[in-house]
Parts: sequence; structure tokens; C-alpha cells
Amino acid sequence: MTYNFDWSVLWRGQSGLWLLQGLVTTIEISVVAWVVAFTLGIFSGAVRTVSITPLRWLASFYVEFFRNVPLLVWMFFWYFGVPPLLPRPVQDWLLNHGAEFWAGMFALGVYHGARFSEVIRSGIQSIPRTQFEASVAMGLTTFQVYRLVILPIALRLIVPPATNESLNLLKNSSVALTISVAELTFQTRQIETYTARAIEALTAGTLIYLVLCVSIATIMARVERRYAIPGLIARVKPA
Amino acid sequence: MKRLLLLLATFISVAGSITVARAETTLEKISQTGIFTIGTRTGSPPFAYVNKNNEWVGFSIDLVETSILPLISKKLNKQIKLEKKESAPNTRIPLLTSNAVDLIAETMTDTQSRREQVDFSLTFFATGAQFLVKRGTPIKGIQTIAGKRIAAQQGSTNAKIIRERVPTAKLLEFPDQPAAFQALAQGQVQAYTNDGIQLAGLKAKAPKPDEWAIVGEFFSYEPYGMAMRKNDSDFRQVVNVGLMEAIESGKYFELYEKWFGPKGEVPYPLAPETKRFLQMQVVPK
Repeated sequence: MTYNFDWSVLWRGQSGLWLLQGLVTTIEISVVAWVVAFTLGIFSGAVRTVSITPLRWLASFYVEFFRNVPLLVWMFFWYFGVPPLLPRPVQDWLLNHGAEFWAGMFALGVYHGARFSEVIRSGIQSIPRTQFEASVAMGLTTFQVYRLVILPIALRLIVPPATNESLNLLKNSSVALTISVAELTFQTRQIETYTARAIEALTAGTLIYLVLCVSIATIMARVERRYAIPGLIARVKPA
Repeated sequence: MKRLLLLLATFISVAGSITVARAETTLEKISQTGIFTIGTRTGSPPFAYVNKNNEWVGFSIDLVETSILPLISKKLNKQIKLEKKESAPNTRIPLLTSNAVDLIAETMTDTQSRREQVDFSLTFFATGAQFLVKRGTPIKGIQTIAGKRIAAQQGSTNAKIIRERVPTAKLLEFPDQPAAFQALAQGQVQAYTNDGIQLAGLKAKAPKPDEWAIVGEFFSYEPYGMAMRKNDSDFRQVVNVGLMEAIESGKYFELYEKWFGPKGEVPYPLAPETKRFLQMQVVPK
């Protein structure tokens, strides 16, 4: 006996619409979470390299605390744990305005922020010490050194690992289905519920993720080429 | 880029041409390995759940152990061992088709669309969907849920019906019973819908059962069957005969009393028409 594939379930009925809705939600939650993660990552990653001890400790605490607890636990934490701590009117407002989306977004953003932080820190630490010293010698404050010299170089250096993290974030958004966010994986399961055809639905989901991630990787490869600093960042000619 | 596209094309063609080849029937597989594997739940009391003593038990599991397993052993003329694996609404059909389990024995509703993928045993339990709410909530049934936040289990038949019949209800779907109940307990949702009997089980197991109420008429018909791979009538025959013998000998009703009787885990009296329906499924020897 063989399994009989019936790919038409993917466009019959509402399946196509559901996949599209799931794709949109996946992109929405990932983009917002990415902005949160990247902002948190730049701040905490930079702070971990400065010489102000309490700030460094604070940033280290954030990174170690958030990256060392499974994402699934964070999802439950932000969805089930945080709302009861908020004032009643805020809770009610949230519940009627997609609490699950915001909880999932925070879980993703804060978790990946801690991971981005390490990527950015390694970027900063790979810059020769003389760059700091030269900047300070020119009369720049620490904040100016970071804003004008260190971060612009560090951000160019970390494009490949940051792309990696961004793709992870996108794929990890599927964990949000545990708190009822109707993203892409959720929708593939919904198709399975309606048609009892799991393999077709999962394959559709797989291909959409694959296409999405390959597109992002391609765009990031261009960004990397475009912003490389000639002479500073050694490049291998693309094959 | 060209290489990437080539890779993608290869992947698609491989995925498209997979055929799940299977040389042996379920009974042959069981005979060879000496193990009969069922897919069942861990959080659906009293059908299948992990109890206080950390034992994996329940009505569905008992039915398999006392009525189907001995029959398989007898038929194959050797002692067969029962093994349990966890299944969930969205994994149970793939678990079967991939040969990971031989029988789904939990709380699976027999439906026409599922019958296109798997075969079902005769119905061993019949229930319908209702709502679990905090006592005193204005929700009284499916007529009163418009605009309300309702939790359901992902991949369940109830979620599908609510979406079709009350599209204005805000449906939130959770992967399992504990998460959905948590959302209800925390007020993230105002009601949780599932099969009445499962809600009764959940209520009985809740820390304070009196805080909860099961409301509404059945808004769906949920006949539970055991699912198996399609087109394997020898195995299906063993499962069905096992269930029929259990009903005919009264063993089924003893088990019913154990789990759903007044002293059982979830008191849920057997309606006379349900009993009659079960008995009428038994065909003569």
C-alpha cells in the first residue's frame, strides 16, 4: 500500500487563504519581534563592552537570564504570567486586542535580543583596541565613540551571524502557536484538521518557510556586499 | 543562486515522489516485533492520562488492555507486549501512516474526512461538545458566545464547528487541554469548548471543581472510535471483535463503572440510549 498524495487540498476551499493569512502573521510577528530584538541586542551588546561595571552587570544578567530559558517557557511566561500583573483596564484592553500576538512578540523579541546581544558584542570585540583609543584621542565621548565609530563597523562585521539569528527568529515564531497565535505552522495544522491530510499541509508549510528564509539570506548577502568597508573587511570573491 | 534553485527543485521532487512503502500488515508487524503500539493521550482524563501516581491509565487504555490485546495475543499465538506513545490531534494520523503506532486509542472523533485517511473501529463512546465556564458567567451555550473569547483545542472538531457557526466568536486554539484550561482559569478566555465528557474530566481534576460549570446543549455529535491504518481489514476485525466481546460480555460496562460510575474518576452516568446504541453495534457470532 502507498500513501496517496492529494495536493489539491492546498488550494481547495479556504486552505490557500489560510496559508496566506498564516504567512502574513508570521511575517508581522517576526518583523516586530526583530526590531525589538535588534534594539535590545545593540544596547545590551554595546553596554557589555563598556567600562561602567553596574551597567555591564545589568546587561550580562539580561543576556544570561533570557537566553538560558527555553523559548517555550518564555511564551507561557509572557502570555500567562505577565497579564495578571498589569492593571485591570490594561488587561482587558490587551485581551481584546490580540494579547497572544503581543505576548508571542515579546517572548520572541526579548529572547532573541539576548542572543543578538552576544553577536553584537563579538562584533565589537573583534575591532582593534587602537580604534577606540584613536577615537578617544580625537576628543569623542564614549557615547560618540560607539555611535560614530564602533557600532557602524561592528554592524557591518556581524551581518552573517546576524542573518543567522534573524532566520532563527523567523523560524522560532512557530513556537507562538502554543499560545494560539495563528501563524504559518498553526494554519498548516488547521488545514490538516479540515482535510485530515497532514503530509501535504506540512510540506506546504516547509516550502513556504524555505522560500522565505532563502529570500532573506539572499537579500542579506547583497547587504553584506554593499556595505563591506573596502580594505577593512576582507572579502572572498563570490563564486 | 543557481545551485540553491537546483537544491530546491530536488527537494520538491523528492517530497513529491515519497511513497510510504509498507510490505507487511499490522498483524504481521506485531507478530514480528512482539509489540503492539498504541497512540494515546497524557492529559485527557479519564480516557487516557497520567494519574497522581505517575501511571499512564484511562478508560481507552483499559479497553485496549483487557479486550483487544488478549485477542491479538491469542490470534498470533504468542504473548504480545503493549507499548504506549503520546499522540495529539495533529499527530495521530501521521503516527499511523508512518507506522509509529498501530492503533489510536484515546478520544478521537470518527468523521467522514478522517475516514478518507484512516479506518475506524466501531464507536466505543459517544458525546457532544459543550462549554466549560467559571460558575456565574453569562455564557449559556453556543447561542450566547458571539463576540466572546472562546478557547478550543487545536485540530479538534469543536473548533471547526464554532468557526463555521459563530464566526464572530473570538476563537483561540491551544495545543492541549492543560494550556486551554490555564487560559480559562486566568481569564484569557471566557469559555473553553471541548467534548462534554472531557470537560467533565477536566472539571473533576481541577483544584476546585465547584468553581466551574459545564453549560449548553451538545452542539455537535462526537462518536469516539479507535483509528488504524486504512485497508487492513484483518487487524480491524480483531479490534472490532475485541470491542464487541467487551460489550457483549459486560466487561465494557464494568470498565465504564470503574471510570465513570458514581465512585469513578469522572462520574458520568451512561444514558440508556447510548447503552442501547453500543449494544446494537454488536453483530452475532
